[in-house]
Amino acid sequence: VCTGQVWMCVLMLCDCVCVQAQKLLRERLCHQKLPDQPVGLDSQYKHMLELLRRTAVHGESNSVLIVGPRGSGKTMLLGCVLRELMSLREVQKNVLLVELNGLLQTDDKIALKEITRQLHLENVVGDKVFGSFAENLAFLLEALKKGDKSSSRPVLFVLDEFDLFAHHKNQTLLYNLLDVSQSAQTPVAVVGLTCRLDVLELLEKRVKSRFSHRQIHLFSSLSFSQYVDVVRAQLSLPPDFPDPKFSDEWNHSKLCDDKTVEEILRRNFNGSKDFRSLHSLLFLAVSRVSVSHSTLREADLIEACRLISADSKANVLHGLSILELCLIIAMKHLNDTYDGEPFNFQMAFEHLLQLELVRPVDSGVCKVQREYQLMRLMLEHGQVMEALQKYPQCPTDVKQWALSAFG
Amino acid sequence: MSRYITRLRMRRAYKWNGRPVSKDRKLKRQYYESMSISVEGKTEDVTVSLGQYILIEGDDDDNPFVAQLLKLYTDDSGKKKTAVVQWFVRMCEVPQNKRKLLGRDPHPQEIFFYQDRSCDNEVDGETILGAVQIEYVPVEDPFPKGKSKGILFVKLLWDTKSFRALNPELMQPPQSSKSPPPSSHGTQTRALPTPDLSVMKRAMSGILTRGSMSTGKMSSSEAESLHSASKLSAAKALSAKRRSRAVSGPHVRKKLDLCSPSKNMTRDDVLGEILDEHTEKTLTSKLNTSPTGRISISIRLTRLNLNEEECVSPLSSHSPDKPRLTAYDKDDATSVFLGVQPIGDDDPEPLISTGRTPRKREATPRSAGLRGLKARTPSRRKDALREPALAALAEEEHEYSPVQTAATPCSKRKSAQLESSRIRKQLNLLGNTVDLQSDGEDGDDDDCFVPAKIDLQSSSDEEEEAKIDSEDELIVKKRRGSGTSRSTEKTRVSARTPRKTPSKKTAPATPRTPRHATPSIPSRSAPAKKPGNVLEEARVSCQKLQETTVLLVDELDLLWTRKQNVMYNLFDWPTRRNARLVVLTIANTMDLPERIMINRVASRLGLTRMSFQPYTFKQLQQIITSRLNRVKAFEEDALQLVSRKVAALSGDARRCLDICRRATEICEHSGSQKNSSGLVGMSHVMEALDEMFSSSYIAAIRCASVQEQLFLRAVIAEFRRLGLEEATFQQVFVQHQALCRVEGLQPVNVSEGLTVCQRLGSCRLLLLEGSRLDLFLRIRLNVSQDDVLFALKAD
Repeated sequence: VCTGQVWMCVLMLCDCVCVQAQKLLRERLCHQKLPDQPVGLDSQYKHMLELLRRTAVHGESNSVLIVGPRGSGKTMLLGCVLRELMSLREVQKNVLLVELNGLLQTDDKIALKEITRQLHLENVVGDKVFGSFAENLAFLLEALKKGDKSSSRPVLFVLDEFDLFAHHKNQTLLYNLLDVSQSAQTPVAVVGLTCRLDVLELLEKRVKSRFSHRQIHLFSSLSFSQYVDVVRAQLSLPPDFPDPKFSDEWNHSKLCDDKTVEEILRRNFNGSKDFRSLHSLLFLAVSRVSVSHSTLREADLIEACRLISADSKANVLHGLSILELCLIIAMKHLNDTYDGEPFNFQMAFEHLLQLELVRPVDSGVCKVQREYQLMRLMLEHGQVMEALQKYPQCPTDVKQWALSAFG
Repeated sequence: MSRYITRLRMRRAYKWNGRPVSKDRKLKRQYYESMSISVEGKTEDVTVSLGQYILIEGDDDDNPFVAQLLKLYTDDSGKKKTAVVQWFVRMCEVPQNKRKLLGRDPHPQEIFFYQDRSCDNEVDGETILGAVQIEYVPVEDPFPKGKSKGILFVKLLWDTKSFRALNPELMQPPQSSKSPPPSSHGTQTRALPTPDLSVMKRAMSGILTRGSMSTGKMSSSEAESLHSASKLSAAKALSAKRRSRAVSGPHVRKKLDLCSPSKNMTRDDVLGEILDEHTEKTLTSKLNTSPTGRISISIRLTRLNLNEEECVSPLSSHSPDKPRLTAYDKDDATSVFLGVQPIGDDDPEPLISTGRTPRKREATPRSAGLRGLKARTPSRRKDALREPALAALAEEEHEYSPVQTAATPCSKRKSAQLESSRIRKQLNLLGNTVDLQSDGEDGDDDDCFVPAKIDLQSSSDEEEEAKIDSEDELIVKKRRGSGTSRSTEKTRVSARTPRKTPSKKTAPATPRTPRHATPSIPSRSAPAKKPGNVLEEARVSCQKLQETTVLLVDELDLLWTRKQNVMYNLFDWPTRRNARLVVLTIANTMDLPERIMINRVASRLGLTRMSFQPYTFKQLQQIITSRLNRVKAFEEDALQLVSRKVAALSGDARRCLDICRRATEICEHSGSQKNSSGLVGMSHVMEALDEMFSSSYIAAIRCASVQEQLFLRAVIAEFRRLGLEEATFQQVFVQHQALCRVEGLQPVNVSEGLTVCQRLGSCRLLLLEGSRLDLFLRIRLNVSQDDVLFALKAD
């Protein structure tokens, strides 16, 4: 009995440790926790920090754009910079931070309300019913322009999805923000985050001229070995993990040296260098860790990779009946014969339509009879073939038909 | 808000002493000999009479303006008391850069006889504070000692250019009390320069056909000729041009005024009449026979009021050249600036922002005449250049300003900053008002325009029957960052009418919507109304106050509406009677009137159009040097490189300064590692230029992942195959898979391919259709094929 209890305890402990490790890693991978130091972005980090510090401490107005592809760490970089900046006491007390997102503040009116809210100016606005945009803007500008370099609190404006602000009517908000940043009024730093390289071309001339033309580009020039290092760092447990034995074991697994794992990572690296796709891959792998196998094995990664890189439409094909599949194959042959010309059917294939594997050509011009409506096949040649290969109990002659060169 | 609002003012009551000594029926004026001023709380009244020296209320309570009283009169209503004075200046009113011309330290009680014909010498009688004692001291004699503080000494004469010995005769009370107006006129004209020869000739040859003449008109023309004659010979061409415009201007405009009840005259008639008047006037001015001759000099000095906020600005604390003021109005002789700026969205209800003055910024007060001289005289150029730089330093650098002696506002920020950051600050655009001297001629033109309009205005003020509207709009076209707003601001400043009891509102803002382009009228707190009504009201009130309004509209193109009502109103206002409105608009479209204005708007537009060329590299260089203000921070070559590069690309001054700021940053960072000269050199500037001008596309392609690069390659291959610049995803995908096989990579599937494609699309390396089209979404390159190949090849 005694041994049994001990055994249970050990199991529970192990379970506990394992779950803890998993939880920790999962948090790291999907909660977008800021890393301690941005990887590979040191110069940009320094530049950015210097720039914002000058606004926050010396009251020098500035405007800057952070440009980089999706997942390249723009927000992370800014977050790290702000974290360091806010750790200075004088800054913390002094600086006002306004964060806007182009996807949330879809027009200037909303953006302005949000700015007012974030600057805690609602009380000042208070009883005045701010109906019109103009009143709001006038009020805000007055508040901003009243200040001077030395005595006003600096305001940091962070505009996420900067390009979307450029679509606002007349670019009023941008014009005014950048105008304030160009003149010696309240110290203002306008930081725009965008993934569009041509964002400056979106700006009107008058707005463009007021922008300081500082752009910080975040293009990752990571090599594959660095990439693997990052993977290793991401998967290792921190030194303050409660069970040192477990973490030691975990951290010393030779996972990344494995040939297949490297293959998978390289494939992922070739696909995109950003860490977001890496995180989703690792997240799937880490989720497979359980009590029964408490370490991360290559099989987990392979499975995760399979899940991630699976073609979604080929998966859909697996759910078709033989008849529908025949239709698809017929269409494939038509496609091959007529090189992608649209075709029509006199048969009903609502299901296929619903699955959007086949789609009517939008002509919009004439009302064709339903039976003669032109259709397009939304599948690649290879997708059909792959699906057929994997299709459970597919009649051989259908397969043969699909493989044959002639319809 | 002006700080006068908050100042405690003593209430004074003004009364005429005795009966009017003479009367001018035409002008409906009654001349008096003396006036008594009773101050609240004091028992005895102060009496000022002609010839006496008086103190006139100014900005500085400790140093009120000093003048000699020449005439006192009232208009027919008897309400408005006006005084004609001969000004004296204190040393502190002389421009700072001219003070050294004195060659010695001024005596604390020393004042100078002021000889500047361009200065308005009419003041509101109710601004007189009281009498003062002035003693003439011959040039050689020392200043008498032991006299009371109240006595002021005059030794020299200041004619805005130099100090000269003062002829004591000028100081004599100009007339016996019996015939004040004519003899005072005599004194005035004594100082006049001889009229232009050609004008004289014409005047002599002209036939005096009309017996009656309007003195008001006379005075205005005289004023103009005086003004122009006082120019230096180097500026002759310009001044001649200007005079010719000004001389003919008021009359021509009056005659052609759309709303004035003028008779139907043929063109020849009009011209003839103008010519006749002209000859008469020049003749009379020369012969000085007008019995009611009253000089009204219409060019006047500018005097700016410093706002409360502006008081913190060090510039204000030691604003060097304080010219004197003349108030010619009873209440406020101010020009109200109604500012509208068309940035905003469309809100249905119009806004009248009340008393909002978003960008109150006043520059160094400086007389229009002085400015003209400075800008036009080559020999003065140097001064002109140095001065703004000084001002820039003073404004930008609270802490460092070497010239600053007055107390600076205590700064919360760290004052211990590096030299480079100081330079950066100086380079910060719009630090405050700094004269853009590099605007050169453009600026001058603009300068001329507004004062000319106001001159015209003031002459019409005096000529009350004529009712001239000063109407004109100046569309200032600009290229971005070519300093239009700045120089207009300057103009606005210089064109400001002087006043004694100022309650000036300058509200040059951008209206948020076209329909919001309602000028913000001072002290209005009314609910939303139609713009027209607001203006109507403003006009009425302005008329009451006899204010001249300069309406500055920035970003005019945004005021465009479908019916163009806003623009129509804007340009229609000045054509109305008594509008006293100068509309000054700024836009960056060169052919705005032709392109977007409909006929009825375009026809209401004035003819004056000023285009601002992009800055040339020399001007840019000058701008930077003036900003740097003698601080040697840039290597000569580096400066030239920046200015040439920017001039070649856009001529945008903002961009130029931004690059310089960036270069100093780079220099600061690199300087810590390998200490070179400490100056910003070529390499730093090159780096900054690269950063700003280099296209990021190539870098983006180089840093893209393998699959992304392959996809771009596939796109180009597909384009080549099709011979088109467009392909569907399906087509490209086939190529992509083929390329993958060639490269020995595992072929991607459609989902992955689409992800790659979308990622490139979000960077705008590719232009994509909506992704719901799936396989058939069309793909285009946003970069040239050569660029892509170049970027990929370098790998």
